Amino acid sequence: MKDNTNILTIITYVVIVSSISILLNDMREFDMEQYKSFLNWAKTADKSESWFTSKNAIKWSYYVISTAIFFWKGYLIYGFTYFVSILKEVEKGTYFSEKNIGYFKKIGRIFITYTINILVLRLILASIGSSSFSFFKESKEEFYILIPCGLAFYILAEIFKKAKQATEENDLTI
Amino acid sequence: MAIIVNLDVMLAKRKMKSKDLAETIGITTANLSILKSGKAKAIRFSTLEAICKALDCQPSDILEYVKD
Repeated sequence: MKDNTNILTIITYVVIVSSISILLNDMREFDMEQYKSFLNWAKTADKSESWFTSKNAIKWSYYVISTAIFFWKGYLIYGFTYFVSILKEVEKGTYFSEKNIGYFKKIGRIFITYTINILVLRLILASIGSSSFSFFKESKEEFYILIPCGLAFYILAEIFKKAKQATEENDLTI
Repeated sequence: MAIIVNLDVMLAKRKMKSKDLAETIGITTANLSILKSGKAKAIRFSTLEAICKALDCQPSDILEYVKD
């Protein structure tokens, strides 16, 4: 059992490190310098021009949303770290602890929150015309994988809650 | 609680210590304490049988139903 836990912990760490490196690479490839050009434009812009229709404002919205997507991706990786916490609890032998129930709920919430936020941000991106986002095509992955995963973790939390009650009852059976 | 555990009374009648009973029936003193204090959720037939054998009594001597 302990060997399996160790292997799972190592795999989880590999997944976390890989995800972080992918996110950092995406951020590196994203041209942050363009924020500076926007700031320069903001100083010299014609104030009589409508803000919403100006090209720079649209660009700015695109970069803000892209940054928000990076944030939510980071949030998802933060969710992965709870797997390590669960494995630590399993290693201690406290399978049905209050902590584990909380971790499962948190992971479920993170998965669902991430999916919803990413979809909303992509929709906004599509509406400002800076993305070739197709809702039915690109939301497939999130809807078929992450939302059911999030729900599965909520269900697991409920199962663990019942299991905890059963364990407590069993411990008090003399 | 509707079910009262009268283990203390039986132990006093048989002039037996909790520790000795725990050793005889093969449970820990902590578990016996849980049983005596009424905190136990359930009692196994095997435990009840062992207690009855050790104290030479009937289950009704140990367990009593009281209306709430």
